[in-house]
Amino acid sequence: MTQLQVPSTGPGSLSPAPSVRQLTFQWAAGPAIPILSVVIALLLGAVFVLLSGNDPVKAYAALVQGAFGTPYDITETIVSAIPLVLTGLSVAIAFRTGLFNIGAQGQLLVGALTAGWAGSQFASLPGLLLMPIVIVFGIAGGAFYGGIVGVLKAVRGVNEVITTIMLNYTIVFVMHWLLQAGPMTAQNALGTPASTPIGAGARLPVIIPNDLVPFSRLHAGLILAALAVLAFWFLLWRTPLGYRLRAVGLGSRAAAQAGIDPAKHLIVVMAIAGGFAGLGGMIEVSGLFGRVYDGFASSYGFDAIAVALLGKNSPIGIVFAALLFGAFVHGGAYMQSHANISSNLVAIIQAFVLFVIAAEAIVRSLTKRRGRKPVEAIA
Amino acid sequence: MKRLVAFCLLATTIVAACTSTTTTAPAASSSGNTATGQHPKVGLVTDVGGLNDKSFNALADKGRKDAAAQLIVDTSVTESKQQADYVPNLTKYAQDKYDLVIGVGFLMQNAVWKVAKQFPNVKFAIIDGAPQDDAGKTDNLPNVANLFFKEQEAGYIVGVIAATMAKDKVGTATHNTVCSMGGLPIPPVDRYIAGYQDAVTKTSPTTKILNGYSQDFVDQQKGKEVGIKHIAAGCDILFQVAGGSGIGYINAAKDAKVYAIGVDADQAAVAPGTVITSALKKVDVAVFQTIRSIRLSTFKAGDNSFNAANDGVGFGALDKIVPANAKAAADQALADIKSGKVTPKDTLTVK
Repeated sequence: MTQLQVPSTGPGSLSPAPSVRQLTFQWAAGPAIPILSVVIALLLGAVFVLLSGNDPVKAYAALVQGAFGTPYDITETIVSAIPLVLTGLSVAIAFRTGLFNIGAQGQLLVGALTAGWAGSQFASLPGLLLMPIVIVFGIAGGAFYGGIVGVLKAVRGVNEVITTIMLNYTIVFVMHWLLQAGPMTAQNALGTPASTPIGAGARLPVIIPNDLVPFSRLHAGLILAALAVLAFWFLLWRTPLGYRLRAVGLGSRAAAQAGIDPAKHLIVVMAIAGGFAGLGGMIEVSGLFGRVYDGFASSYGFDAIAVALLGKNSPIGIVFAALLFGAFVHGGAYMQSHANISSNLVAIIQAFVLFVIAAEAIVRSLTKRRGRKPVEAIA
Repeated sequence: MKRLVAFCLLATTIVAACTSTTTTAPAASSSGNTATGQHPKVGLVTDVGGLNDKSFNALADKGRKDAAAQLIVDTSVTESKQQADYVPNLTKYAQDKYDLVIGVGFLMQNAVWKVAKQFPNVKFAIIDGAPQDDAGKTDNLPNVANLFFKEQEAGYIVGVIAATMAKDKVGTATHNTVCSMGGLPIPPVDRYIAGYQDAVTKTSPTTKILNGYSQDFVDQQKGKEVGIKHIAAGCDILFQVAGGSGIGYINAAKDAKVYAIGVDADQAAVAPGTVITSALKKVDVAVFQTIRSIRLSTFKAGDNSFNAANDGVGFGALDKIVPANAKAAADQALADIKSGKVTPKDTLTVK
């Protein structure tokens, strides 16, 4: 008889039927902390605006107006957010598997280069054929570059933070060589280091009609980014591979005990992470430039770390975090030109977002020491 | 009754609100019109170097500020953080009906072309470049001014200083040999060097001239390697035309305790005592003059030349090692170029 009894409710056991209030709280608790960190970061940023002798209200009003003031600005904010979504997914999937991918920047550049190479090499092919080729090359380039990190980690145990940072530099210099006086350099780029242009079929079309939003650059990369977000969600929560990746992330020893080979999955996840970032590079080349410019991307991969952290590594969270950072990028320029406040303020706010999120983890670990929360369920 | 009063009050407030908006709206827009009619609006967009690059962007912004202080214009500036920002930053000013939008540097050639084509009623200017179509070909537009500089004139003046010092064996310049290094053999680089060589052959025919390229505008090490080679061959005065790579060339001169000449901006601060002067492109003057051309309605699309005659090029601060006769020769060369007595060559004498 005693064996059939329900075990006593200690810390960690779930109550059988959560009340509506509990559910609401759980739902609200998800975005609450990221939103709070952004608010705190904005307040800290306001202090800096005040210190520089300007009006913070005016600054933020200009920032918002610049990012969302007209339909054109909204589309530009989205254009700025697209590469951040992809690199954000890249960082997040590595996080989910317990890896810190600082190399999204390098992986994005490799994807841009391979996609740009394929786009100009097979420029004469029709779009129906060329577009998939360019997409595959972009993803494959990034996946290869991320995969190197995974192999080094799995085979030799090399810390991925070190290798990703080093590979970021490597590709910058390979890019200098390729685009300044190398095999990909355009002949008539008039001093601008760049690759030969990609074929018309490799260009992502603008998806907003010109008479609806004049001059908009919003391109079909938005659709690719949306598909990537879906793929991220489906892979992690609807496939056995995603289950195993998350298991490795929650505890690689436990996963190994359960028959999951962590080494193999480290390689796989770094290749997938690289693939996301590589697709981001391909989208920038095909959607915006039509060729690869030397050093065209300065910070997508680094902002992505903040995007992934702020988005709590969830697909929806990353989309919103990327939109916020896209708004910072596009609105920051307007803030500078119309409120006369250096757009570097945006970089300060971004840094505070990261700082507050990091601080939040510390605060949480300090406050939640008593009643330990149950380990998050994998499924 | 109460309700009726409330309704009436509400109605009058609404009407009052409506009339007040209708009366203020035209006033606001008309004052806006007169403002744009009186004060041309000028927007400056930097390249990814940013405002603190101590070079083209910083100089362009100085020109903008000078114009804001001396001319009746409203100006503002936007820094570009990455390549993808050029088009939206230029577009934003054009959409806001700015009269003149200035892009800094050849990195923006394609972006200026794209945006200027979409806004034919807005005037654009690009520093050290010309609008470039998607295929990479120059495509001049009727609303874009290309602000070019006569590099050979700046190169000529510093060449006169170098040749005078080499001839007189000033300080550690004992081998009567002067050198130059470009980043890549592209026209703006070679024009600087051509003027430099032309001045040396005219001022001191016995002086030996060497030239080389680092094949790079960024890598300091490559510039330094060329510098070490040149110094080993006897060079005592090294003229760099290679951007960041040229800093390595200057550092090679510093290590060997010989002399260097900076380029574009005044680079005396890079290595004081080593950099004897710099060949200047006065981007600030070009920006100021272009903004003034909007005020005076003398804006000219296509190539605009900035040269010694309109104070668009010149030479930087002279180090104390530079003797008075070299300074006098440089001043004379500047005057001669201005008056048209001397026309520096724009093709290389020594490859």
